[in-house]
Amino acid sequence: MKLLARLWDGVVFLLLLLGGITMLVPFFWMVSTSLKAPGAVFDLPVEVWPKELHFENYQRVLTSVPFARWYLNSLIVALGLTFLNLTSGAMAGYAFARFRFRGQGALFLLFLATLMIPVHVLIIPLFILMRNLGWVDTYYALILPGLFDAFAIFLMRQHFLQLPKELEEAAIVDGATPWQVYWRIALPLAAPALATLGTFTFLAGWNSFLWPLIVTNSLEMRTLTVGLAVFQNQFSTEWTVLMAGLTLGTVPPILVFLLAQRYFIQGLTLGSLKG
Amino acid sequence: MRVYARFPFLFLLPSLAGFLAFNLGPILTSLVLSFVEYDGLRPLTLETIRENWVGLANYRRLLEDPVFHKAFWNTLFYVGVAVPLEIVLALLLALGLNRPWRGVKVLRTLYLLPTVTSVVAVGLLWRWVLNPTVGPVNLFLRFIGEKLVALWQAFGAAPPPGLVWLAKEGPGWLSDPNWAMWGVILASVWAGVGMRMLIFLAGLQNINKEYLEAASLDGANTLQRFFYVVLPLLSPTVFLNTLLAMIGSFQVFGLIYTMTGGGPLDSTNVLMLYLYRKAFGTFPFEMGYASAIAWVLFLILFALTYLQWVLRRRWVLEET
Repeated sequence: MKLLARLWDGVVFLLLLLGGITMLVPFFWMVSTSLKAPGAVFDLPVEVWPKELHFENYQRVLTSVPFARWYLNSLIVALGLTFLNLTSGAMAGYAFARFRFRGQGALFLLFLATLMIPVHVLIIPLFILMRNLGWVDTYYALILPGLFDAFAIFLMRQHFLQLPKELEEAAIVDGATPWQVYWRIALPLAAPALATLGTFTFLAGWNSFLWPLIVTNSLEMRTLTVGLAVFQNQFSTEWTVLMAGLTLGTVPPILVFLLAQRYFIQGLTLGSLKG
Repeated sequence: MRVYARFPFLFLLPSLAGFLAFNLGPILTSLVLSFVEYDGLRPLTLETIRENWVGLANYRRLLEDPVFHKAFWNTLFYVGVAVPLEIVLALLLALGLNRPWRGVKVLRTLYLLPTVTSVVAVGLLWRWVLNPTVGPVNLFLRFIGEKLVALWQAFGAAPPPGLVWLAKEGPGWLSDPNWAMWGVILASVWAGVGMRMLIFLAGLQNINKEYLEAASLDGANTLQRFFYVVLPLLSPTVFLNTLLAMIGSFQVFGLIYTMTGGGPLDSTNVLMLYLYRKAFGTFPFEMGYASAIAWVLFLILFALTYLQWVLRRRWVLEET
């Protein structure tokens, strides 16, 4: 019986390992293609790993399209969204956790109700709004709609509610204003929650596609995802160059993921509630 | 007891401003737009709205629009195949990976890597992976096909035409209307299964070990413990996970946009892609009509959520 259980465990492990390696095949193929000679990818039999490594594909993707600029744009958008999201989310979360005011419950419910509204209902009027403001094709349009995020407020409120009040109350007795209490005492204590929310928002921002696609139109204002998607036709005969671009674009999220895996997994599990 | 008893105007200002400008305002505008014929060019004023008010015409038009019907059924097909596949695979993975092995975290990471990759990267990558002649998927299928054909011939029989086709050619995937949606589903399961697995793992770790031990003492075997103990206790997670997967899949966009652009012959056109095309894609823009599509999609999602909550009462075991 013991032996049978051992055997079963071994079989499960092998299957999981095989599955895990299969999951890696597309990534492997991406890197391997990005290192092949541009004309050689359609040769049969297919080379699994190129004998000669061709790094010029990376050079080509950096020079033939404004790749560096797209990269920078993605970074600015992801960081900007993260900053905005953490700032407004933590402030509002603190307000709901530590203040008591009329209509508080109703306002909180109203905020939470927006989680039910999918983005696709918002994008058309949002685009019209951005056009009226003259913000189309600017960072404002890419970042500012992230100002309100019910999920961030919810997460931060939960965290502030769990903090002990004694420290804050002592500071109030010493004459600190609400803002000072928030900024000097509560916010530093919320660092773990901020890290979770931040990792999650950064990755969501870096990988976002639909909104940047709609609200940018010049070559220079595209983010990396949009740039690659819109200009894939330009590369379509040059798979090696496209794969070099994809490899470069996949590095930041995977790095962030590996470095902040703990926060990311928390954020993802919580973020899934957001849908 | 809370600390302050007044309205925290300063603290709520950024969120309130964002809520009014970027959420509440657009929601109401969207609802109004769905009753208007609007090309997106003229300024959107009350006068524009009054002059171009068409009542329910946009919604009536949906009933007769063949492309909308096609997109609707394609979306249903995609959700109906991709979601169960993802959920079952993720559950199996979570059960396997919920063990105190050393290095199990590394194994989990392998399944999670596609989850952090953007849909655009996934889509473009899979277009290449599914290349009928030189993509690894068909290379593998042809390899298997050849072996099977050889095996058949070793017994001196003529191999069935299906096998010969697999060995020589294999599916055309994204260029073949009959296969394109399956290609998209393959990519989306690859990209999505890690996330679902993670939620199942969280659910499994919440299960009280005492129940399992009690079942073992009563002589339950592995399968019995799974079906009579684990699955009932996990049912809230199964419901939540399925609901989230369905909501996400109904809104599939980036993957289709990059992999097929809705083609060939509209065989992978879905609701979100159609909405995007109507509102922003091809001139003249039909933002009113696109808004009507958006609200129909919203109603589907809302009904689905409601239905799941009703079913939840009946099917899910709640711990008391």
